[in-house]
Amino acid sequence: MSTTAKAMTPVMIEFGARSDVGRMRENNEDSFRAAPELGLFILSDGMGGLEAGEVASKLTVETVFAHCRDAEASPDLPYEGEQLAGASETSNRLASAIQAANKVVRAAAGFDDADGRAAERDADTVGTATSAPKGMGATVVAVQFFGERVSVAHVGDSRAYRLRGGEFLQLTEDHSLVAQQVREGRMTASEAEASPLKNVLMRALGVDAAVEVEVDEEIAIEGDAYVLCSDGLTRELTDGQIAAVLTEAVNPQNAADRLIELANAAGGGDNITAIVVRVGAKSGGTLGKIGRWITGNGN
Amino acid sequence: MPKLTLKFDNAILGEVPVGTREVSIGRSPDNAMVIDNPAVSHYHARVFNEEGRMMLEDFGSMNGTFVNGQRVKMVMLNPGDCVTVGKHTIVVSDSRELDGFAASGNGGAAKPAAPKINETVMLDTKERREFLQKVAAVGESVQVAPARVKVATLVVRNGKTDRKEYTLTDKLTVVGKSALATVKLKGWFAPKAAAQINRREDNSYFIGAADKTPSVNGNAIAHPTKLSSGDVIAVAGIEMEFVLRD
Repeated sequence: MSTTAKAMTPVMIEFGARSDVGRMRENNEDSFRAAPELGLFILSDGMGGLEAGEVASKLTVETVFAHCRDAEASPDLPYEGEQLAGASETSNRLASAIQAANKVVRAAAGFDDADGRAAERDADTVGTATSAPKGMGATVVAVQFFGERVSVAHVGDSRAYRLRGGEFLQLTEDHSLVAQQVREGRMTASEAEASPLKNVLMRALGVDAAVEVEVDEEIAIEGDAYVLCSDGLTRELTDGQIAAVLTEAVNPQNAADRLIELANAAGGGDNITAIVVRVGAKSGGTLGKIGRWITGNGN
Repeated sequence: MPKLTLKFDNAILGEVPVGTREVSIGRSPDNAMVIDNPAVSHYHARVFNEEGRMMLEDFGSMNGTFVNGQRVKMVMLNPGDCVTVGKHTIVVSDSRELDGFAASGNGGAAKPAAPKINETVMLDTKERREFLQKVAAVGESVQVAPARVKVATLVVRNGKTDRKEYTLTDKLTVVGKSALATVKLKGWFAPKAAAQINRREDNSYFIGAADKTPSVNGNAIAHPTKLSSGDVIAVAGIEMEFVLRD
C-alpha cells in the first residue's frame, strides 16, 4: 500500500452518495464510485440505447478509479493524452484517467482506434453490424482532494458545486451546445432552458478518439461542502433548493438521500445521482471519519 | 414493402423501396436515392430498418434533414411522414408488410436507438463543426481555443509580500501565508489563504474568495470574477495590479 505524501489527504473528508433510477426511466444509466482512501469521487451519466448507457457510465467510473489507484502505486505509470501546463500532478493524473476512460468506452462502443479511424457505418453492411459503432457515450465529473487542494475534472454536463460560507457555486461549466451559446452571448439562460437543443452535448466520452478534459483546481477549506450530480438532479431542483439541503442536512449521506427524495418528488424525470463531500478539520495524518463506502448504481 | 417517394414541387421524381438494405440519400451518384441539388450533401442521410422499425438518420448534413418540419438527427419514420432534404420531399408510404422485417443477423449487438425527446445527444467532431458553422453568424469565429495566449502577471503596489511581481502560470494561484501560496503574505495575522486566482480552460483568470473576500477596483466581489488587464486587487492589506502582457 502506498504511503507517499501526495496520497494522503490532510483535510478530513466525510461523504455520502446515492443514485436512483428516478420515476420515469426503466433503468439507471448513472454510475458513481467513491474512493475515500484516494480522496477521489467520480460520477458518470451514460447515454445510448438498450444497456449501452449503463455500460458506458460503469466503465467510466471504474476506469477512472483504476487508473488513479494504479498511479498511486506506480507513479511512473504513463499518462494518457497531453499533460496540462501549470496543473498539479494530481490534476494531470485525473485528466489522464478520464482519457483512459474515453478509450475504454470507445472500445466498448465498437470503435477501432488502433486503426486510427472508426469502424464506420458502411452502406452495404447494415444487418451484419459486428463492428458498427453502438452510439454509446458518457459524461464524467470527478473531484480529488489532495493536501489542501481539490482537483475538479469533467467532460459533459454532469456538475460539481461547492457551498462555502453561504455561497453556492457551480464549479464546472456545462459542455452543452446551449451553455456555450450562453457563454458566447448568443442566447440567454432562460432561452437555453427552453431550447429543444438543451440536451445536445459538445463533449462526451466515447465520441472522439481523444477528448478535451476540463480541469480546475481549488483550495479546499474546512466547512466546504461539495456536490457532484447528474443532470437528473439539476433538472428538478434549483441551485437554491440544493444549497438549502446541504445547509440543513445533519451529515453528507443525509444530504444525498434528501436530494434524491426531493428530486423524485419534483418529478424524477431522469436518473438522479448525488455525491456530497464535506471538508472537516485537519487531522494528523490519514483520513479520519469515513462515510459509507458505496460503489455502483447505489442499488 | 414500404417505400420512399421522392418529390420536387409535387412532381414525383421516383420511388425507392425500403427493404433490409438501407436507403442512402444524397447528392453523390452512389446513393440509393440520388438528389442532385446543391442544398443536399453528398451523403446526406439514410433510411434503414431496425428491428421492424423504419429509421431515418441524418449524417450531420450541412442543411439538415427535416421530418414534418422538425429538424432531426435520428428518428423513427411512420407512414405518411414527410421528410425534407434540401428542397425535395420524401414521402413515406403505408405498408402492412413493415412488421415482417424483423432484425436479422445481429445477434445481441446493441444498436443505437432513436433518441427520445429530452434524451442527451452527443455530437462528434464533424457534427460539432457543422453545427457551429450553422449557428454562428457569418464571418464570426467560433473557435473555443484562444487565439493568442498572453502572460498574466500580478504587480504588487502596496503591502508586504515576498516578491514585487508574480507571473501566473498555474491553474491555481493562492494569495496567503500557507505553503501553497504563490503570493506569500508576511505578517503574523496574514490568513493562510486570503484569496485564490484560477486559470480557466480558455486562459481567462478569475479571482475568488478564500478566507477573505478580495475587492477588484474597489468593489468587494460577490462571486468569482473575471480579471481584465489593469484591474487592481485588494485583499488582506495588499494591493496588486493584474496585468496581461504579450
